[in-house]
Amino acid sequence: MYETLKRKVKTEIKERLDKDSYQIKEEIDEKGNVQIWVKLFNKKDILHIAQIIKDFGGRCVIISAYKSKDDDYVLVYHLDIDGMLVNVEATATDKKIDSITPILNSANWTEREFKEMYGIEPISHPNPARLFLDDSIAEGILAEYMPLSQAMNGAATCCMWERIESERNENEY
Amino acid sequence: MSTKIPVGPFHIGLEEPIYFKIDLEGETVKEVDMINGFVHRGIEYLAMQKNFFQNLILTERVCSLCSNNHPFTYVMAVEKIAGIKVSKRANYLRVVADEVKRIASHMFNLSMLAHLVGFHSLMTQTMEAREIMQDIKESIWGNRMDMSANTLSGVKYDLDEQRIEYILNKLEELEPQVDEMMDIYFNDKIVRARTIGVGVLPKEDALRLGITGPTARGSGVNNDVRNKAPYAAYDELKPIVMLEEGGDVYSRMRVRWREVKDSIRLVREAITNLPEGEIVTQRRPHIPAGEAVTRSEAPRGELIYYLKTDGSQKPERMRWRVPTYMNWEALRVMIPGNKLTDVSVIFNSIDPCISCTER
Repeated sequence: MYETLKRKVKTEIKERLDKDSYQIKEEIDEKGNVQIWVKLFNKKDILHIAQIIKDFGGRCVIISAYKSKDDDYVLVYHLDIDGMLVNVEATATDKKIDSITPILNSANWTEREFKEMYGIEPISHPNPARLFLDDSIAEGILAEYMPLSQAMNGAATCCMWERIESERNENEY
Repeated sequence: MSTKIPVGPFHIGLEEPIYFKIDLEGETVKEVDMINGFVHRGIEYLAMQKNFFQNLILTERVCSLCSNNHPFTYVMAVEKIAGIKVSKRANYLRVVADEVKRIASHMFNLSMLAHLVGFHSLMTQTMEAREIMQDIKESIWGNRMDMSANTLSGVKYDLDEQRIEYILNKLEELEPQVDEMMDIYFNDKIVRARTIGVGVLPKEDALRLGITGPTARGSGVNNDVRNKAPYAAYDELKPIVMLEEGGDVYSRMRVRWREVKDSIRLVREAITNLPEGEIVTQRRPHIPAGEAVTRSEAPRGELIYYLKTDGSQKPERMRWRVPTYMNWEALRVMIPGNKLTDVSVIFNSIDPCISCTER
């Protein structure tokens, strides 16, 4: 089912990317589902890949970010074309990468999420606002230790009541 | 004259915390802005501190209504990395648990629709029929929500003759009720008036935003993972993809009801043709270093898990994305142009699950 599609996608990648700038492998599970894994050596190429996915009518499923053992920031883009997954790995050592949201709208949230969780900046993202975390919490918080009481702004401990109590006394005359 | 109305973060019309900023002109919504993050719990970080067996318990608690899909997709990822083969029987049993969950989840959402359009007797009728599924869950898996059906290399429960007969009898009881309710939901004046042409999501927007699940299928987009990239026993028990063209709340409701019917068929087919075999193949599997991506079709749409391991007992990185994460942006297309009173009906029609979106 995916044979022709897979071949077409691989040909496109070969045509648009430099020969030595990527590695490609494929994986077929016991049900016959195909997944393509691409490793990019030049992170700029992600824009080419996004364009290929768009040309095939695909979408961005999610982007997984993580900090590797050598302290590099790695992004794995999971892209889908009609049920076939294309997983693209890119390294953002300087914590910056081109945003693919202008090409694939479906990447909007996930790029905002890796920005707030890991502090990796998606360059020229149309709406780089915070997604889940409040502005008062620093970027790249996932790599740090943060006590629950601080994360919840003392909402579940006596801290909040102490604060309210002290403020109340201030306002009374 | 334009008015700004805030709905949320904690609001009587919402089931979960979310903050809508609505710009109104008269009674019509001009623009909507959404702010989220009220139930962000950092579960993804927690998952990386737990070992592979503990994560079975943790992933099940990410979401209540699609609780079975999380450990299901997670174990598939671990099994892929470790190269573990799952028996055919276990695969069938996984499908049974999943489809039972799907029926209960869809019926919950549909009863909420009846509630929001003000048809309360229909809501209680739907919830009462759903109790049959809850009874099945409680009797077979011992819990009304978290079934704990999956484990590494198989499942934790088995079905004997007596239990199979029990499920079949219960489905026999449920199906005529589903037929009766489908007739009411599809043809009743109140439901039709409040849902047809409301919250329209055109097909192009569904494709552009990567919308998944019944929300996408209501707009004629088929990306049902069970059909596009079959897993477990879905290559043998073929689910029928339910597509509707309207793209409105009514179409999404129709997709869900038709899926309930199909899931009943799938459960029946799976338990009457249950293959022989072990339910668990490896008690304490070794998980080598590697990475894998697996997907499944949760009641709300496509669920994806990315897992990276380094040979230790804990994941190096685990990331998942739930369907609501994608379907959320569709609200920006669906809500403007509708009446303020329809906002909660439209919101409910994507079957939102905020706690699993924010994790």
